[in-house]
Amino acid sequence: MHVPDGFLSPQITVPAWIAAAPLWTWAARRNFGASSTESLPVVGSLTALAFVVQGIMIPVPGGTSAHLTGMAILAILYNPGVAFVCESLVLLLQALFSGAGGFTVLGVNALAMGLLGPGAAWLAWRALRGLSGRVAAFAAAYAGMQVATGAVALVLGLQHRLSPAYMPVPLEVTAVATMVPSLTVLGVVEGLYTVATLALLRRARLLDAR
Amino acid sequence: MLAEPRRSQAFLVAWAASIFAVSALADPRALSVATLAALLLFRRGALREARRVLVGVAPFALGLSAASWGWLAVRGEAPPVSPFAALTLRTVLIAFVTFSVLRRVELLRALAPFPTLSRLLVLSLAQVHALRLLATESALGLRSRLPRRPRTRDVLRSSGAITVALLTLSARNARDVGDAMRSRGFH
Repeated sequence: MHVPDGFLSPQITVPAWIAAAPLWTWAARRNFGASSTESLPVVGSLTALAFVVQGIMIPVPGGTSAHLTGMAILAILYNPGVAFVCESLVLLLQALFSGAGGFTVLGVNALAMGLLGPGAAWLAWRALRGLSGRVAAFAAAYAGMQVATGAVALVLGLQHRLSPAYMPVPLEVTAVATMVPSLTVLGVVEGLYTVATLALLRRARLLDAR
Repeated sequence: MLAEPRRSQAFLVAWAASIFAVSALADPRALSVATLAALLLFRRGALREARRVLVGVAPFALGLSAASWGWLAVRGEAPPVSPFAALTLRTVLIAFVTFSVLRRVELLRALAPFPTLSRLLVLSLAQVHALRLLATESALGLRSRLPRRPRTRDVLRSSGAITVALLTLSARNARDVGDAMRSRGFH
């Protein structure tokens, strides 16, 4: 659900950067300081895995794409701050080296896919983990995907509202084009990815190093 | 002439300002002029970067614009083509400028004043590199074990074991890189 560079004007991207910058500083200092030595290997592995799963993108009408994020698992295992920093890194690497997403839209993409989505996943996980670990992980990832996709669709709709000549696709098109695949396919696949990766991490005994 | 890392830092600041400025342009003529200016400014290596943009970015941007235009056309709105052309051109131009500038800067030296960012960037890059190598090796291993070309079912069947190996090695790699950076004064 990356928004590429050029699809959002500075009217939106600059405030998003202003909102994201202090959050990056705070989250990085809080979660990746000297005390994070033990968690870095797992975080690094999951970030790299997220980089790979996010590389498979399908363009959808309205200015974005459909793909997995792999971020719910970081929010579940650590907290939404870790997911925010890791997703921002993935987005930065993609923008700089493969031209996916972009630097001007980094704030928007990071807030939607790195903060709101994983934030929702974390809340869902905390609310449901008493029932069953797998169900809670699946539901958390599904919820996170929907929130992130919805946020991206809303921002693109806002751009159309601000300047139809700049972004000619209205919200009703963007919302349908992004939310239908997200609700029917992507959310389910993200849920399965999260449950499977958690099981694999346990099998590899990597969660002990957390 | 500025010395490194000041030169790269100045380049990055100019790049950030210019791509935000390009992202504000909506008129296809202004975007065309900006594209010509960028091609002139970065004429050394322009062909290589243009090819990279045409292969890696343009099809996706074009696909997005075409899908959006098609959707609106199906709804009977017959939208004008120029805003969609401008969308694609903006995306392509920003990618071209980004790739051209990145080839001319030393990114990690420019980011030296931000040690946490540098450390995370190095770790992530090392992880992505290790993961790519492992995935290639695993694919080659799978191919060598089968008398025929691996099918989707074969790949899916072996994916669990491959991912476990991948995560384990990746974690070890991250630990090594982290230790190496810490021993060199990154905290």
